Order: sequence, then structure tokens, then C-alpha cells
Amino acid sequence: MSDDWDDDPELRDRLRSADPASSLPPADPARAARLLEDTMSSPTDTPTDDPTDDWVLTESRETGTRSRGPLTWLVAAAAVVLIVGVGVFGLLNHDSQHDKVPAAGGPTTVTRLQAPAPAAYQARCMVPTAPMIAQQSVAFAGTVEAISGDVVTLRPTHFYAGTPTDLVKVQAPPAADLQALIQAVHFKQGERYLVSATRGEVTICGFSAPWSPELAGVYAQAFPARR
Amino acid sequence: MDAQTRRDRFEEIAPDLIEPLRRFLARRTDPATADDVLSETLLVCWRCLDELPAEPLPWAYGVARNCLANAQRGHRRQERVAARIAVVDPPPETAAGPGTGVGDGALEEALASLRPEEAELLRLWAWEQLTPAEIAAVLEITPNAASIRLHRAREKLRDQLRKIEQPAGHEESREGRRS
Repeated sequence: MSDDWDDDPELRDRLRSADPASSLPPADPARAARLLEDTMSSPTDTPTDDPTDDWVLTESRETGTRSRGPLTWLVAAAAVVLIVGVGVFGLLNHDSQHDKVPAAGGPTTVTRLQAPAPAAYQARCMVPTAPMIAQQSVAFAGTVEAISGDVVTLRPTHFYAGTPTDLVKVQAPPAADLQALIQAVHFKQGERYLVSATRGEVTICGFSAPWSPELAGVYAQAFPARR
Repeated sequence: MDAQTRRDRFEEIAPDLIEPLRRFLARRTDPATADDVLSETLLVCWRCLDELPAEPLPWAYGVARNCLANAQRGHRRQERVAARIAVVDPPPETAAGPGTGVGDGALEEALASLRPEEAELLRLWAWEQLTPAEIAAVLEITPNAASIRLHRAREKLRDQLRKIEQPAGHEESREGRRS
């Protein structure tokens, strides 16, 4: 009898009267619908043994220090609206680079990347796939070394494509909202990312995102020669 | 499962998960974290659609619980950073945490005196209104263990409430618990 669910209705009622969610209004149906749509727009071709582990893996030690990281990554990969202003990168310097990663002869080589045209952010996002990433001229895994002003400096640990350099610097153009960028890709000092670029522009829409085993798998698949 | 079948199945299951999960999270964290963890939980459900049990809600609570624990680990790290900043720029005094000031001070005190696992069992029982078998699914323990622990947690809560509400009583001798 003591195992019955309703063993002590009085105690249960007392607990329920202290339920902090009792005053929570129901979810706005439009918001709930959008949430579902966003969820279903995210990639599913991720074989996992344990759903919880999957999440923990995605939220790896490098990226798992904030609850917002994976959400914003998800949104970046999935949502249309939030994509606007995602990768508002600019050139660190005015000498715009295209396609080829400069491999300077100096002690510290730097790859400089810029933002795509603002119109690009309006595009609907596709799920990142290996064939699409294979078209990128620059692709690397790296750790954010510094974020100062509008400049994000990454130290690459592995180049999948492009000429390896010691550093990669990206910069939000003056007009861009750096907050939007930070929220979307969630560049955070000391954390690890997979970044790709084409024609010198960082690719958004989940192509450049916090490092995750899944995305790293897609990158490796895209560039089998340099995995 | 092809893409459309998958979507159809998710659209059939997920709407019924959102509201309970929102409440589950609202009871346990702040609104911003609740929103984030809700998205994460749904994402896990979407990705693991094939593995969803026939009764997905307890399973989804379990996922939300793990996602929340992860988020809170992240928060603690952020707080450590914030603490360093606060030395320079102290914020106003922290407000009372969630669940305080609702009215039943004795209950809150009694709940707080339990071990966190016991208090969580009681919340799952009273707030989420789960059966021991469902609680077992959330906590990944056997139904039998859930049943026994729930029974003990209730006893302990009743004892604590008595102690708090009748501080002058002889706590040790009050074995006349109703059964």
C-alpha cells in the first residue's frame, strides 16, 4: 500500500500547492510551432547509442560550458531568421583576401577571412553535408585564442582545406552586430570550432560551428585526403 | 524511416511533450535556461526518434534532467568568472531563489533538508505526477527501487514537516506516523 502512487494524497496536495509552475501560462502555440520547426530543421543523420550521451558529446568539454552554446548552434544551423547576421565577418585588415589562404613567410602566418554579403544571411539554411563542405576552400578546426573588439582570432589545430597557417583572424565589419555573430556561432575564447570559408568568406548556416564529433565527421568526410 | 515519416512522427509526439517539459524546467531553473534546455531536449528527441519509447514523456524528462545538469555545470563556470568581475563591480544583492516565498515555508524547509535525490523523487511524484514506474524511467533506476525510495522520501518529508511544525514536540518518540 505504501508503494501506491496515491499513498499520501494530503502530502502530495501540499507539495502541489507549492508547485512553482502552477502559475506558468501555457506556451504560445506559435512559439511552440516554431520551436518544433526549428528542431526538425536540424540534422538527424547522427547515429547515437545514447541520446543523453549524444547531447553530452555535442556539448563537449570545449563547448559545454554554457547552456546557450548548442542552442545557438542549433538555431544557427536551423533557423532562418536568426541566421541573419550570423557570420558578419569582415576583414581584419583592408587587404581583402580571396580564396587562397596567405601563407606568409614570417614567423606567424595568418589566414584572414571576411564576411559574406549581407544578403547571404537571408538564405535558408541547408544541413551541412560533406559534398557541400568539400566545396569550401578553407576548412579548419581551431580554438578561439582571443576576441578583441570585432576581431576573432583562432589558432587552428588542423586544416582540412586551404594552406595551413598559424592563426586565422576574422572580423565583423563595422556595421555588423558583433553580438548577433557571437550568439549565432558563439565564438568564445578558449573553445574549439570547426570553421569553413569559401572565396575568403566564412560560411555560416551551421557550416562553421562549435566543434562536435558529428560536424568533425562531416568535415573529415568532405576532405578525406586531409582528415 | 524516410524524412517525411520522421517529421510526421515527431509532429505527432512532440507537441504533447512541450508543455510538460516546460513545466518540468520552470520548476527547476530560471526562464532563460529553461528555454535553452527545452530546445536541447527536443533536439535529442528529434535525433533519437527511433529510440523513443512508447511512453516518451518520462524518457524526455530524463533527457531534460541531464541537459539541465549539463547547463548548470556551465553556469557554475560562468558564475566563477562573474564572481571575479563582481569584485570590481558588485551587483545588487541576489534575489531569493526559485520556489522561495511561495508561502509554505515549512514545506520548503522540509524539502531543503532532504537529500537532493529524495527531494527530486518527491517533485517527480507530486509535481510531474509520475508513477513509481515512470519515475524509474526518468531516473534510470528500477521501478522497485523508485517505489521504495519514494516511500522513504515521503516518510522523511513527513518527519521533517512534523519537526519543523512542532519544534517543541519529542521528535524521537513521535513514531506514531500514519501508515
